[in-house]
Amino acid sequence: MSKTHASYRADKRRFAVLIGAPSLIWQLVFFLLPLLFLVMMTFWSVRNFRLQPDFTLANWKMILNAGFFQSAYLYTFAISIFAAAVAAVAAFPVAYLISFRLAPAAQRMLIGLLVIPFFTSLPVRVYSMQIFFSPSGLINSVLAGLGLSPVTVLNTPVGALVGYLTLTIPLVILLQIFALNGVDRQLVEAAYNLRCGKFKTVISIIIPSARVGLVVSFALAFVFAFGDYISPQFLGGSNPPTLSILMADQVKSGNHWPRASVVAMTMIFTLMAMMGILLKFAYGRSAK
Amino acid sequence: MSVTILELDGVSKSFDKQSAVSDVSISVQKGEFIALMGPSGCGKTTTLRMIAGLEAPTEGQIRIWGRDVSQDAPWRRDTPLVWQSYALFPFMSVRRNVEFGLKQRGMIAKDRAEKADEWLARMGIAAFAERMPHQLSGGQRQRVALARALATEPELLLLDEPLSALDPHLKVSMQTELVRLHRELGITFVCVTHSHSEAFAMADRVVIMDKGTVQQVGAPQQIHRRADNRFVAEFLGASNILEVEVESVDASVVTAVSAIGRLSTPTPTNMPVQVGGALSMVVAMDRVEITKSPSGAVNQVSGRIAMLEVMGASITAIVETEGGVTLRSQLSSRDMESNPLTVGDTVVASWDPASAYFVAH
Amino acid sequence: MSRRTGSMGDILALLSLRGWAIVVFAFIFAPIVSMAAFSFNADRFPSLPWAGFSLTWYEQVFADPMIRRGLVNSLVVALAVAPLSTAIGFLAAYVDYRFQFFGKRLYMALASLPPTVPVVIMGVAMLTFQGRIGLSGTLFGIIAAHVVISAPFAMVLIRMRLADLGTDIEAAAWNLGAGPWATLREVVIPFCAPAILASIFITAAVSFDEFMIAWFISGQNETLPVRVLALLQGQVSPRINAIGTLVFTTSMLLVILAQALTFRSKAGRR
Repeated sequence: MSKTHASYRADKRRFAVLIGAPSLIWQLVFFLLPLLFLVMMTFWSVRNFRLQPDFTLANWKMILNAGFFQSAYLYTFAISIFAAAVAAVAAFPVAYLISFRLAPAAQRMLIGLLVIPFFTSLPVRVYSMQIFFSPSGLINSVLAGLGLSPVTVLNTPVGALVGYLTLTIPLVILLQIFALNGVDRQLVEAAYNLRCGKFKTVISIIIPSARVGLVVSFALAFVFAFGDYISPQFLGGSNPPTLSILMADQVKSGNHWPRASVVAMTMIFTLMAMMGILLKFAYGRSAK
Repeated sequence: MSVTILELDGVSKSFDKQSAVSDVSISVQKGEFIALMGPSGCGKTTTLRMIAGLEAPTEGQIRIWGRDVSQDAPWRRDTPLVWQSYALFPFMSVRRNVEFGLKQRGMIAKDRAEKADEWLARMGIAAFAERMPHQLSGGQRQRVALARALATEPELLLLDEPLSALDPHLKVSMQTELVRLHRELGITFVCVTHSHSEAFAMADRVVIMDKGTVQQVGAPQQIHRRADNRFVAEFLGASNILEVEVESVDASVVTAVSAIGRLSTPTPTNMPVQVGGALSMVVAMDRVEITKSPSGAVNQVSGRIAMLEVMGASITAIVETEGGVTLRSQLSSRDMESNPLTVGDTVVASWDPASAYFVAH
Repeated sequence: MSRRTGSMGDILALLSLRGWAIVVFAFIFAPIVSMAAFSFNADRFPSLPWAGFSLTWYEQVFADPMIRRGLVNSLVVALAVAPLSTAIGFLAAYVDYRFQFFGKRLYMALASLPPTVPVVIMGVAMLTFQGRIGLSGTLFGIIAAHVVISAPFAMVLIRMRLADLGTDIEAAAWNLGAGPWATLREVVIPFCAPAILASIFITAAVSFDEFMIAWFISGQNETLPVRVLALLQGQVSPRINAIGTLVFTTSMLLVILAQALTFRSKAGRR
């Protein structure tokens, strides 16, 4: 009798283990292990172009002290913050319009449209941007037609910014729409009822109520821009290079994996710290 | 000739140290219709789920045909349940829902389709075999749920609030149908309900639970005649409960003092009564008579009709007594015709001492 | 009602909101429209006016053996990634739905976080690790990496569907004699079928579009997006537009199929 009890419990346990194992094993082996290996790699050395297991802080010292790393780090950080801010500010009126001012059918259609870019190859979209902004491209033709002087966008930080916005704006708008859709409509009605103007309602009711979602959308835009390789490479012309370009160069041409790993670690730390700070900012004050 | 099919022996269940059911012992005879009744949160549904094996008791044993099944997996038992939510498989046709249990028992496709159709016909829903559950009305879904549970021809059927999701007019017909089904099949029904009208109308025996413990077990008539304790009397609702202090006790009569005067009842045999003890006296509402003038007998209280509540064929007269206590008397419409009452009338409420009884506070 | 007609200022505000939205949508969709338009343009140099309709670039794309190989590799990878990551994502979603256990938060973090790690870092990590165990440059290496980043999408999609599975439904199956495996097979999986199909399409699209990790680890076995990246590094070539349009059409078909399936299941549930 007690044997059947034991076997029923064992069956239940075996079922749970077999169900839970595949995801755990796959993500451990092909996700966590590579990341941990990357951490370990930062302490390895390269001799005669060959990787050697080692425990040296040389890579860390070399990268952290290198002027090219420091300037790339500051540049990447600054332009990613700037790009995320521009994306958030540019996206908000659109998200507000879609969430608050349009009929549900139009809202659904525009959300559907905004999903399209996620399934359109970023390199190809960046290529289109290259064409638009090329010296004799569409933008400069229009400017010339208006009698204005041509602009140089490609191979400058402005070019990289165009790329970052191409990457992040659809995402930011979508996340902002979801954040705004979560705002209690009665609160907004109440504000109108109290003769709070539309603009004032946005500032004093809607933005504070949707703060968590808005901050998260900004944070994700930062994450995407910070890690992006395509925009700074093909629109910014790696001028100046970003951390992602530094990494790719170290791996693809320099073949110096340990140094690339150090750069990757600084990126991961930065992203984790930024997410921590931003999420704390998002949730922190709401308790009060 | 009675055979015990199901026994709960000192069964307790706690969730995270929170006790849901404690020390429940019930013994169910083959072919009985048992109702588990009580307010929400009384542990009746947890008890039912333990019988089905969906929860394991923390203590005690559940025996079916004398075998301890308390730790058996739900899929190893033969205790189909009719769910309050019906829990029909939404992506399967009605027929495939009914076939489900048979399929798990390894019956071949042709046989189980036949069997399913047989049960659907029996439940009067043969025409809906190809429909999906969401295309059915509540009453039809209920029938599918019953057919699905009965298709495996169990000896014990569990029902969790089978009528609560139905429209009021369907409730009564489904209630009749369940009783008919129970009689025809001759199997054991264990039915959870919060409604005493349902329980009393359908069950052979009723188990009243509160706060995880059994308060009273008995046939509806018996419980109605005499509640074992104050909770049961209050839960059933159809009684006046008066706070009294015992003044004198002798071999046959107890005299007690209450806010509305001196009352007497026969001396109970099932509980000790001491002079000076505080007790509750229960008088069923349908035992309270209303007359225009006193007759001089015992247990008479004068008062004023404060309100008349008409509930279909019966009328409840609410009498405000001089002692400030309210008495309720249930009258039939015939009573009202022979002795018309209006609000404000001065009346005398009285009852036969033998129809009142004591319960502990 | 009369309040809503608003003042002149309100009307102006709404107009400028709409105007700005048009500018932003133009910024988002101009590259996509331009890609499709110039892929059919006869002129090598993408400029206006349009030089006339032509399929030259598509012909060139299909004539290029490297692009053809990339396409085949991408298809093979996507075909393997879709069922694998959907199965893994389904199981992770079911674990979240059914079980409570110590360390569940960690388990779910591992199952859902991979897409938030920048792909360039994933690429380098996968390259160093897979290089070590002899997997880099193989199609399985790419499949393994793509499953890592697509399984979380499948997990989320299927988890949302599971949230709609009535709490009693599984218990009803057990109660009728179905053990946990039979319940999974006959009740949970059929119930999740629309989400499972949708996630097969979505994960295929994610894999088919992924260029960064593949760029690091594919080696000789380039996938189509990696080939695009290589073309992008060369000179202007409208072939990129042609490939982009092909990939876009494929991905959108998959997404629309996925959408239609989820929509139909919602309608069916009523």
